[in-house]
Amino acid sequence: MLSLRIDNLAMSFPGLNSPVLQVDFLTIAAGERVAVTGGSGSGKSTFINVITGLERPTSGKVVWSGEDVARLSETARDRWRAEHVGLVMQDFHLFPGLSAVENVLLPARLARVADAALIARAHDLLKSVGLSRPGQKIETMSRGEMQRVAIARAVLRKPGVIVADEPTASLDVEAGETVGRLLLDMSGETGSTLIVVSHDQRLIDRLDRRITLGAGRIISDSFREEVAA
Amino acid sequence: MIRFIAADLRRLWLGAVVVVLLVALATALGVTVTLQERALRLGSARAADKFDLVIGAAGSETQLVLSSIFLQPAPLPLMPGEVLAKLSKDPRVAWVAPVGFGDSFAGYPLVGTTRALIGSTVSGFASGRMFEKEGEAVVGAAVKLPVGAEIKPVHGTAAMGGETHAGVVYHVTGKLPPTGTPWDRAILVPIQAVWHVHGLGHDHEHEDEEHHEGGAAQVTQAAAATDEHADEDHGHHGSIDADAAIDENFAADAPGLPAVLVKPKTIADAYKLRQEYRNGNTLAVFPGEVLTSLYATLGDAKMVLSAVAAGSQGLVAAALVLVTVTHIGQRRRQIGALRAFGAPRLSVFAIVWFELFLLVALGIGLGFLTGLAAAQMIANAFTAKSGIILPVGFTGEDWRMVLILLAASAVLSAVPAILAYRQSPAAALRA
Repeated sequence: MLSLRIDNLAMSFPGLNSPVLQVDFLTIAAGERVAVTGGSGSGKSTFINVITGLERPTSGKVVWSGEDVARLSETARDRWRAEHVGLVMQDFHLFPGLSAVENVLLPARLARVADAALIARAHDLLKSVGLSRPGQKIETMSRGEMQRVAIARAVLRKPGVIVADEPTASLDVEAGETVGRLLLDMSGETGSTLIVVSHDQRLIDRLDRRITLGAGRIISDSFREEVAA
Repeated sequence: MIRFIAADLRRLWLGAVVVVLLVALATALGVTVTLQERALRLGSARAADKFDLVIGAAGSETQLVLSSIFLQPAPLPLMPGEVLAKLSKDPRVAWVAPVGFGDSFAGYPLVGTTRALIGSTVSGFASGRMFEKEGEAVVGAAVKLPVGAEIKPVHGTAAMGGETHAGVVYHVTGKLPPTGTPWDRAILVPIQAVWHVHGLGHDHEHEDEEHHEGGAAQVTQAAAATDEHADEDHGHHGSIDADAAIDENFAADAPGLPAVLVKPKTIADAYKLRQEYRNGNTLAVFPGEVLTSLYATLGDAKMVLSAVAAGSQGLVAAALVLVTVTHIGQRRRQIGALRAFGAPRLSVFAIVWFELFLLVALGIGLGFLTGLAAAQMIANAFTAKSGIILPVGFTGEDWRMVLILLAASAVLSAVPAILAYRQSPAAALRA
């Protein structure tokens, strides 16, 4: 499990007067389960991109358990992300034509780390998320099933942090409920830190901490409020 | 990675098939031109191989070779028969054979010649024996007539409205083995018979010949004789004595001839004879020499066709890059997702590169096979029509071309792969 510390982070894009994200200081403890909320354009996606190393911030530090990913090259960030981050996205980003288990294993195979143990784990994970047909093609699955495959993929390599971006947004209530529960269960099983961007109140309520973004800044943080209280 | 590519290609199979077919067609075009041109050169050179020197009346060198060696029906001016008599006695000549055209049967040209030519250019008989009498004939390997068959010659060709020579019948006595030349489709009869059929060479007709200025020359003119000419000739039709012995000792008063084929004893003799018979009245040529000049023309035509083929290949290549780049643009999110999930940049590069390269390489392979098949089909049709066997096949040069095309495809496929490699995963996911 990984802890996060952000110092003086700013992310700007050319043509914009002010940074789209500015976080002076933020810490997330290892194993903590955090919800990130905020309206459209509040900087949630940029926050996710920066903390997962998908984008390098304009300035500041993004330190995961002592390693500042903002200083890493793009290739090194790819490698770091493959080793430490499990990503779950709203649109699943599964690959049609491949089966459920092939989708789960794809990133590991591309990184050439898919050994027999990992293949066995992929099958076990699919079972544990309630999918009994690992060979089923992705395009024949329901959206809820697809998101469960995506969760299995995210936790395959026992990442230090699971980052989920609106994981229940495109699901019906029942499927959303299942996916939310699975995320919590899986992060608990792997001991991963969990960061979830969501508007799903039921999912948010299940998490330890809630950070709200507005206009690229943290406008509330339940942890700070508790400390302050 | 292979599974991912295979799944991707299965999903987009129609587009993949179109890409492979486009590349295959563009490649096949160039391959067919190259193979066909080479086969034509080799085939024609082999067909002319046994004939060292051709002598005919002054006129077109190319036509002389095409008519006398490749048996293409076309009117040739005639030279006096005394040339044949003189060459027969020339000590520098190993053998000399007259060739006379004009008639055909069932689409096969009748060629009047001597036993010397057949014996010297073909080894043995597939069946039967040499002609020994005026009414006998020997057929080439591709002539669909058995030994013993009757041949009733038509003046000119049936297609040109030629008329059957009344009362003239040859009997097939032998069939020659295949030579891969137009002579495989020829019916060979004694030159003496050809003269007699056309009312020449009989003692009693010499007078008539003399009355008709240049008559001999016109009567035996190649098949070719036009309808008008044919009408004119009908008055000169003669007959043969099927059982008459063949006389191949030619005197100075022998009828006119379109060409004689000469086998000089030495190379020096060949050059001397060529020099001697290149005068105002006669023309002596080495067939190889004429073919070389024809090949130069063929080469020019090939250059034009190759340029057209290369242009089409270039267009296909450009279209492919455009399509692929557009395709990559449409797949930005997928590529971004791959990167987001930790796929190394090199893996992304390799996936995009290999997917396109695989399709293009398949297209090139298919194109070469299609080109070979097309060239073979054209060659077969050509052989059926002309008798010349065109050796179609790949050489080291072609394999080098395959490697060059594959290398070019590898470079070309790298263009979209580099675009994918350089794509920021976050930007791609935002797309």
